[in-house]
Amino acid sequence: MLDEALTRVRAARSPRELQEVRVAYLGRKGAVTERLKALGAMAPEARREAGRAVNELKRAIEAALAARAQELDADRVRAELESQRLDVTLPGVRTRAGAHHLLTQVTNKLLDVFRSLGYQVVVGPELEDDHHNFAALNFPEEHPARDTQDTFWTTDGRLLRTHTSPMQVRYMRQHRPPFKVVVPGKVFRNEAVDATHEAQFHQLEALVVGERVTMADMRGAIAAMATALLGASTRTRLQPTYFPFVEPGAEFAVWWTHPKTGREEWLELGGCGMVHPNVFEAVGYRGVTGFAFGFGIERLAMVTYGVSDIRDLYRGDVRVLEQFRGVA
Amino acid sequence: MKVPLSWLAELLPALPDVDTVIARLDALGLAVDGVEVLEGAPADVLVAEVIKVRPLEGSDRLVVATVDDGTGARDVVSGAPNTAPGVRTALARPGARLPGLDAVVAVREVMGERSEGMLCSPRELGLFDHAGGLLALGDDAPLGAALAELWPGDTVLELELTPNRGDAFSILGVARDLAADLGCALAHPGEAVRDALGDPAVDDGLRVEVEDPKRCARLVLRRVDDVRVGPSPVWVQRRLASLGLRPRNNVVDVTNYVTFELGQPSHAYDLRALEGGVLQVRRARAGESLVTLNDDALELDPEDLVIAVPDERAGSRAVGLAGVIGGRDDSVRSDTRSLALEVAHFAPVGVRRTARRHRLVTDAHYRFERGVDPNLPPLAAARAAALIAAVAGGRVHDGVSAFGADVERPAIAFRPARVAFLTALEVPPSEQRAALERLGCAVQATQPDSWAVTPPSWRFDLGIEEDLIEEVARLHGFDRIGSTVPAMDFVPPSDDPTHRRLRDALVGAGLLETISYAFTGEAELAAARAAAPTVRLAEPQGTERAVMRTALYPGLLSAARLNHAVPDLALFEVGRVFGDEERERLALLLRGERVGATWRAPVPVDFYVLKGLLEQLAEGLGQPLEVVPAAFPHLHPGIAGAISWGGRVVGSMGRVHPEVEAAFELGETFVAELDLPLPARAPALEPVPRQPYAERDLAVVVPAALTYAELAQVCTDAAGDLLVSLEPFDVYVGHPVAADHKSVAVRFRFRHAARALTDAEVDARMKEVISALASQGYTIRA
Repeated sequence: MLDEALTRVRAARSPRELQEVRVAYLGRKGAVTERLKALGAMAPEARREAGRAVNELKRAIEAALAARAQELDADRVRAELESQRLDVTLPGVRTRAGAHHLLTQVTNKLLDVFRSLGYQVVVGPELEDDHHNFAALNFPEEHPARDTQDTFWTTDGRLLRTHTSPMQVRYMRQHRPPFKVVVPGKVFRNEAVDATHEAQFHQLEALVVGERVTMADMRGAIAAMATALLGASTRTRLQPTYFPFVEPGAEFAVWWTHPKTGREEWLELGGCGMVHPNVFEAVGYRGVTGFAFGFGIERLAMVTYGVSDIRDLYRGDVRVLEQFRGVA
Repeated sequence: MKVPLSWLAELLPALPDVDTVIARLDALGLAVDGVEVLEGAPADVLVAEVIKVRPLEGSDRLVVATVDDGTGARDVVSGAPNTAPGVRTALARPGARLPGLDAVVAVREVMGERSEGMLCSPRELGLFDHAGGLLALGDDAPLGAALAELWPGDTVLELELTPNRGDAFSILGVARDLAADLGCALAHPGEAVRDALGDPAVDDGLRVEVEDPKRCARLVLRRVDDVRVGPSPVWVQRRLASLGLRPRNNVVDVTNYVTFELGQPSHAYDLRALEGGVLQVRRARAGESLVTLNDDALELDPEDLVIAVPDERAGSRAVGLAGVIGGRDDSVRSDTRSLALEVAHFAPVGVRRTARRHRLVTDAHYRFERGVDPNLPPLAAARAAALIAAVAGGRVHDGVSAFGADVERPAIAFRPARVAFLTALEVPPSEQRAALERLGCAVQATQPDSWAVTPPSWRFDLGIEEDLIEEVARLHGFDRIGSTVPAMDFVPPSDDPTHRRLRDALVGAGLLETISYAFTGEAELAAARAAAPTVRLAEPQGTERAVMRTALYPGLLSAARLNHAVPDLALFEVGRVFGDEERERLALLLRGERVGATWRAPVPVDFYVLKGLLEQLAEGLGQPLEVVPAAFPHLHPGIAGAISWGGRVVGSMGRVHPEVEAAFELGETFVAELDLPLPARAPALEPVPRQPYAERDLAVVVPAALTYAELAQVCTDAAGDLLVSLEPFDVYVGHPVAADHKSVAVRFRFRHAARALTDAEVDARMKEVISALASQGYTIRA
């Protein structure tokens, strides 16, 4: 009987079938139950012997039933999960990933560096006047230095700032040294637009003023920025030049590996110098020294990320904007 | 400014190799922008002279020239206008390869005439840009000589000079700086004429009248007689050509030569123009005019300074625009025999204004506006006069007529210790002194730690101590400056003026950042129904860049038009707009789909998707956001609202007005524009409630036009202070809800801070709500 019972247990395909097997053997009229009932009519000696055998049989069937029930349950769960199977290779349902504009990313990267060096970030107006953009920055009236600035004048005699330096004047008039500030922002030059020149672009400018700030401090700041951007192997180069609002004035370059050509070379970045005494006088400072340096963001972004046409940065073409994801 | 190396070497005999020269000039701040290698004259080109000319039968333009190339006469067909007997020029022999022709010269038959070679223009020879006639040579070029030997190649450095270094706009200026840097000797081209400056006591028949000594502090007039105007010698032509100039004639060429050699412009007038030998410098008169050497007819302004001569009818007439350009009719001509050489110093600002007024850019004006050595005219006049005599066969008059005297620069107080103070360069005082003296400064030690330094007359840019510090550092080497970090008692505030967190949040929400132009076209603003511009550019780059934007969203609409093929556009821009005042704004644009996949129905963007985005943003800044119905010209009248952020109206949002959408060729598009910075609230932790809330749902039938905000207000007022939240979870229109009505299902949540609420308490509140709704005429849907 046991073999027959175990075969039927194994053959049960569902909890219902298994229940039928249970009833057939262990139910009130089941085969095992009948045997147990029959024990009562037996002699005590034979009853003990037979009773042990029937109980063993019952336990074996019960164990088989339980095992089979567990199997069936596992099958059921497996089948249910299988029925929920998805094609994981189909594309996800989502909003598209956003992206910061390349210029924002490059600016952020630079601002991170300057913040870590203890600089305050400040911004200022794009619509400026002659005083802040030129006069207070020691650009004399009718001086050829103004020609280099290709100014957009407005019909009411104001101008679009040609550099971020007006913020030097604005900040210094509202704060007392010592300080370290960095100014990112949009600037404008009325020059012919082509693949490398735009009438609108961005600059970043640093200004540090204290009791005894030197040109070596200026170079140190430039070197720290270059190292943060390009790694410890970079170097800096200073060459004399002229900007009316600094004296001495210099151009600075950093040594880097051009990402496209793989060539190691100088990348001429921008201008720098010690704040001109006339600028300090214009803002009412005495007995301090300071340095300023600044450069264009577009150029750095373009050479670093292989942008060949500056106008691509301003067209708002999604095919371009999307490529800016995860740049910095 | 171009610097031919052969010319530089003449002034600086110890000139090092070209790479060293470039490195030194860069380090001096005379930045080398480019290096050009000039080819000399091509091979197989000989100096030849035209003997006779006859017309070519059947051609009204070509002639047959018989030329002598030193070996004999040969016939050549020529079409050049100046093909005339006696003209000495260049003959390209058969086989010559001309750079300006891109062909090999051969013996040819031209209309039945045999032509044994070709007479060449400067452009055909690749020497300088002139194709209007044959290269004109002087007697110095021997017949039959190979032109390649007379006219070798050269290397030309292109310097990008800063506007403060007027002194360096000459070969002399560049050589002077290099000599100071290298510590080597300078061969000053004026040395030979230092004793020939002219004797004012000798009457040369000339007189100078300067009416405006402020703008003309110095004027020297030198007379040269018996000149023969003709082609310059090859060496002069070659030097001018290497500067990119076109040689004209030996007198004009010399004045140009000296302009570039010494940096001193000058002009030669035909002596016949000087009535009574008088040359005047005065302001132009109203209505006066002048025809320049370039044939420009100028209407002069009383602010213009002119060179003038006495005139019978007018009393005086202008013959040149001072410091800018000479007049056509009184300058040296081909038949001039006597000339007056005008060499003057004009003040920068006046020259600059005049040049700008007449839109003229000349070599003279460029130098005067940057500053020419005011003490140079006597020497430059002697140099130019001697050169004219040398190349045009004239005689320099012993006398000189002049106005003005040498000026002496004030000394600058200079403390050698300040070099280290400002630059951190340790330069011994002896080296500092030597550097300043090599640059032409006179140094006097007035006190142990302070010197009186008198800059040379040519260094306009040296005025204060810092200028001298730069000079010392320049010669010592900027690249020797160290690298330090200042110790500074400054702690920067950690504010966010570039709105970085806002941008990060928007990028995180899946938007692409754009940067548009701050200037735009009036038409674009009008098409977008943005506020009319208040700031206009005086000289814009076209009508599309003529005014400053008054809103950001028109730029986003333009970008959307450009990206019409993109199914799910989500853009934002942070930027400045220019109305009555300049302010920072944020603009967003959504169009198409928001969430989706290629294989499954996407969630289309609508008003609520944009609103949800803004709510998410506001939540991130800890501020409640509300949108109240409001009308805006650029938005759909029924799908628009004012954004109230933390109780302050900061902008607008909605669907773009369909007419504006049509103007930008767009379908349904949603935009928002907000003033920055957006109000934020510093978070303060509130206790987390431990009590559960009790929830009740209610479906209210209200007129379709009633806003949710109005319904919510009634509910909130009636529910009392135990209500912690109220949210709509369904809005239904249709059967069985009456027409013009809608059913709004709202979920109330009540909570007591300290204890659990009983059903009875909550039901009592809901009763209040229901009766309040009923009093408004709203019914509850079972």
